[in-house]
Amino acid sequence: MKRRAFMLSVGGAAAGMVLLPRMAFAEAGKIDWYTSSDQNILDFWTNVVKPKFEAANAGVTLNLVDGGDSAGVQAIAERAVAAMQTNTDPQADMAEGFDTRLPKGGIEAGLWVDFSKANLSNYSKINPLAFDVPTSLPYRGSQVLLAYDTTKLAAADAPKTWEALVAWIKANPGQFVYNRPDKGGSGGNFVRRAIWEANGKDPSKFTVDNFGAFGAEALPPAWAMLKDLAPSLMDKGAYTSGNTQSIQLLSQGAVTMIPAWSDQALQAISTGVLPETTGLVQLTDLALAGGFTKIGVFSNGVNKDAALKLADFVLSEEIQSAVITELGGFPGVSWDNVSKELREKYADVIPATIPVFPGGEWEKAINDGWYREVAPNVDRAA
Amino acid sequence: MSLTPATDIVGTKKSGRPIGLLLVAAPVLLVAWMIIWPIISAIGRTIWLPDEGGTESFSLETYRFFFTDQYSLNNLSVTLWTTGVCALLLVLICLPIALYLRFAKGRLAAYVQGLAIFPMFVPSIILSYAVIRVLGPNGTVDLLLNSVGLPHIRSPYLTPWGPVIGLVWDNIPLTVLILLSGLGNVSNQSIEAARDVGAGRLALLWHIILPRISNSILVAVSFTVLGIFSAFTLPYVLGPAAPEMMGPFMQRTFRDLNDPTSAITQAVITFCFCIVFGLFYVRSVAKNRTT
Repeated sequence: MKRRAFMLSVGGAAAGMVLLPRMAFAEAGKIDWYTSSDQNILDFWTNVVKPKFEAANAGVTLNLVDGGDSAGVQAIAERAVAAMQTNTDPQADMAEGFDTRLPKGGIEAGLWVDFSKANLSNYSKINPLAFDVPTSLPYRGSQVLLAYDTTKLAAADAPKTWEALVAWIKANPGQFVYNRPDKGGSGGNFVRRAIWEANGKDPSKFTVDNFGAFGAEALPPAWAMLKDLAPSLMDKGAYTSGNTQSIQLLSQGAVTMIPAWSDQALQAISTGVLPETTGLVQLTDLALAGGFTKIGVFSNGVNKDAALKLADFVLSEEIQSAVITELGGFPGVSWDNVSKELREKYADVIPATIPVFPGGEWEKAINDGWYREVAPNVDRAA
Repeated sequence: MSLTPATDIVGTKKSGRPIGLLLVAAPVLLVAWMIIWPIISAIGRTIWLPDEGGTESFSLETYRFFFTDQYSLNNLSVTLWTTGVCALLLVLICLPIALYLRFAKGRLAAYVQGLAIFPMFVPSIILSYAVIRVLGPNGTVDLLLNSVGLPHIRSPYLTPWGPVIGLVWDNIPLTVLILLSGLGNVSNQSIEAARDVGAGRLALLWHIILPRISNSILVAVSFTVLGIFSAFTLPYVLGPAAPEMMGPFMQRTFRDLNDPTSAITQAVITFCFCIVFGLFYVRSVAKNRTT
């Protein structure tokens, strides 16, 4: 190569380097927060948590970032794992609505702060039902209930037990749809309610670590039950691919009843996505499962201490009460730890206990089992 | 650095070569780094598995599982079915549009072209929800049919035809554009010459136009097939729960089942199917350059 050509290419490469984005570093005192949740949660953090926390902690600011979905936040978490290996700044301090079991090997590598050892002053207030792994801090809950069209089904006739629900679905073929259990909690917890039904309606039988011994016998009867239901569902066994799509089908009048998240259904009604004539009902023999949304704190984040302070702050009575009043959700702390007024006001509306289905191995087995046992084997052409 | 007058790089043929190589080096290196290396690493991770003790050894276990597991095979076959049906429908729909645009003139043709290119600017997630609104149960089509007293149709939403409709619509612009560029090779003179000797419309299409654009059809088909085979959003939102297409299946295996090894195995198998169509494309490009 001639010298001139060489100089040109080296010069070009050097110029290119200058144009590369500069390495960014996290600012001290700015908590980088990522969420996988929907817009209403981001709004709640922007309008309630952020101003209150920043007012109480001078010099600390929150940088609220919408990670899109779990995969988006997982990409951030994977970046943090990589940063851990190279001892660099992950530019992430807190993940909201994310399962800290991911990415695989993260807990073992010490990616997440173990809250049971973090000495949070409000840690003991957390609802014991809500615990999962000690690296996940539950701070808000929601419950699945049945949303239905009162113009087609009178409130007095709405099913209030599992048996009545099954009888109703079979008597009204094509009028019920639930989403795939892994694509949204409303269908997921409907499936979990069936698993409880098939195992003596006793949620306490299921714990986060007893899948190995119990799983193989607990799930098949539930699959049989759901398979039996399939021909009576919309289009003889159609399953939507998310909470929102189920709500859309209900709003289009394509079905009469769906399982839905309480907060999502309330919000849909208040924004007009679902009509005013939408009824909500909870099963009284055993409620549909609820779930708790968790926070994870990156152990290698630059602002780890501030993030832990924030984690403690969201468990305070002030924020937990706001979760109920502003978000329409349930508190992450036990009901004894929210103000007496709220407890009394919501006593009739919200059951004092939310049955919770454990995650861990169960989740994987339920998702895979449902896809292999329930979703196929339907004769939809008939 | 000092810049001396550029007397030494112009003129001679020899010195042009390293510059050409240098220019191509950056993309080649990028491809090697971001595509070739991940492929090698992915294949390595699926055949070099740790056993219970944690020592790694050669094993085809994940592939054996995939090809003996009826559920996985159903997913693969529905993916092949969807891809095949989409490719066929795309050619059948887009060839007439492209022929029309090639030979028609005037304002109407401009509108048709605008309509044909429009799907390119619609994100697939928006398209998915629009399809639910229009073709879903109690959607617009249902309402229109009902209003004139026609019976309720079975909605394609949540059946394998849902993604087919979405994917075909989504891929119309690319196919039309490629076919249109191919039709640019068909000269007006050759068509007029054929007409002069009395060739009918079909004979014109069969003997004059199709031979000239067979390459473009091949390119269009391989491009759309590559996109459709690994499609995610439309099959995810519009397709049935089972069987799933490979895109949603891989994502679910990776994320919900937290099983990267199986997900990568599915990806490698998907890649092997895609590479066949990739080779078609490369071959036709190479053929084009030699002629």
